[in-house]
Amino acid sequence: MEPLALLLIAAGMEGPEDWRSTAASAKAGDRAAFERLMRQHERLVLATALRLLGHLEDAQDAAQEVFLKLHRNWAKVEASGNLAGWLYRVTVNVCHDQRRQKRDLIPAEEAAELEARGPDPQQALTDAERRRALEICLRRLPPKERAALVLRDLEGLTTEEVAVALGSSEATVRSQISKARVKVKKSMAQYFRRPA
Amino acid sequence: MNCTGWEERIALHAEGDLPQQEQAAAEQHLVECPDCREFLKELKQSLGALRAAHAEPLKAAAFTVVRARVLAQIGHDRGRAWRLGWIGALALTAAVLVTLFLPRQVPPPKMVAAPPVQLAIVPPAPVISPLATPLPRRKRRTAPRPEPLVVKLITDDPEVVIYWITN
Repeated sequence: MEPLALLLIAAGMEGPEDWRSTAASAKAGDRAAFERLMRQHERLVLATALRLLGHLEDAQDAAQEVFLKLHRNWAKVEASGNLAGWLYRVTVNVCHDQRRQKRDLIPAEEAAELEARGPDPQQALTDAERRRALEICLRRLPPKERAALVLRDLEGLTTEEVAVALGSSEATVRSQISKARVKVKKSMAQYFRRPA
Repeated sequence: MNCTGWEERIALHAEGDLPQQEQAAAEQHLVECPDCREFLKELKQSLGALRAAHAEPLKAAAFTVVRARVLAQIGHDRGRAWRLGWIGALALTAAVLVTLFLPRQVPPPKMVAAPPVQLAIVPPAPVISPLATPLPRRKRRTAPRPEPLVVKLITDDPEVVIYWITN
């Protein structure tokens, strides 16, 4: 069985034939069918957007735009033949656009504050601070590396699926993933005062 | 760590993303290099921490907000489409009615007074031949053309003079 199919089953989503029939109803104006599609894919869209943008409000704005694009582009979705892949791709693009508009303000003050911790920062960091530090590690990555890492390591897609979602080759995606993993490891070592 | 060249390959190896032909070499290097083994261990810990930080499920309210906003926007778009449709239909109807009934009610166009123009008929300038002895003329097969009539129009603007030349 294809990895994406396994992923869809694990996430409680419909298979390709099921989404097509629901999409056909939604396309014909069935509001309930569209809401059903949204419920089935909202975790995929919102969680990915949150991992890419780092703020829930921004992620909700992005998710809203993704679903509106879905509603306005049935032909493109049907042509792609892969709703989950289409949603990943559009989510990544919408998040990139949103970051460009907001100039992706990396919380430099927060990062500096974390770096200027006391002599034993590993102990001093609370769970929330640790999460925030990890979030900053992720946000410091270049957009394409971050997208590749999020889709591969947090969303669990295969490199092939990531390549499809990002419109890149598998070799490019592998390079982005490996660079991102090394950078995250080094950032975390920096925050938690471990030698890189 | 001195094995900088190995870092990215080990980063791929950590999650099984290294191409099969490179797996054996990476595993062999890890056996031989304690620094790279440490690097791999820490990298796996980093990825584990990253996953743990993102494992917490989102609250249902976060999804509800998105759903409500999307459905409201779709409703708004539909309403606007309906309004635009009605406006278009009304505009078309109005255009048809105007086309059908307006010509009967339209008053004849008013004559607009033209600016005063002075007319003066200027006689055609005499043609002077530069040759002392004129060349013999060919016989014309067609009837001789009448002399052109030149009308000089003098406008209010002294710099604008209009010549109307006609046969």
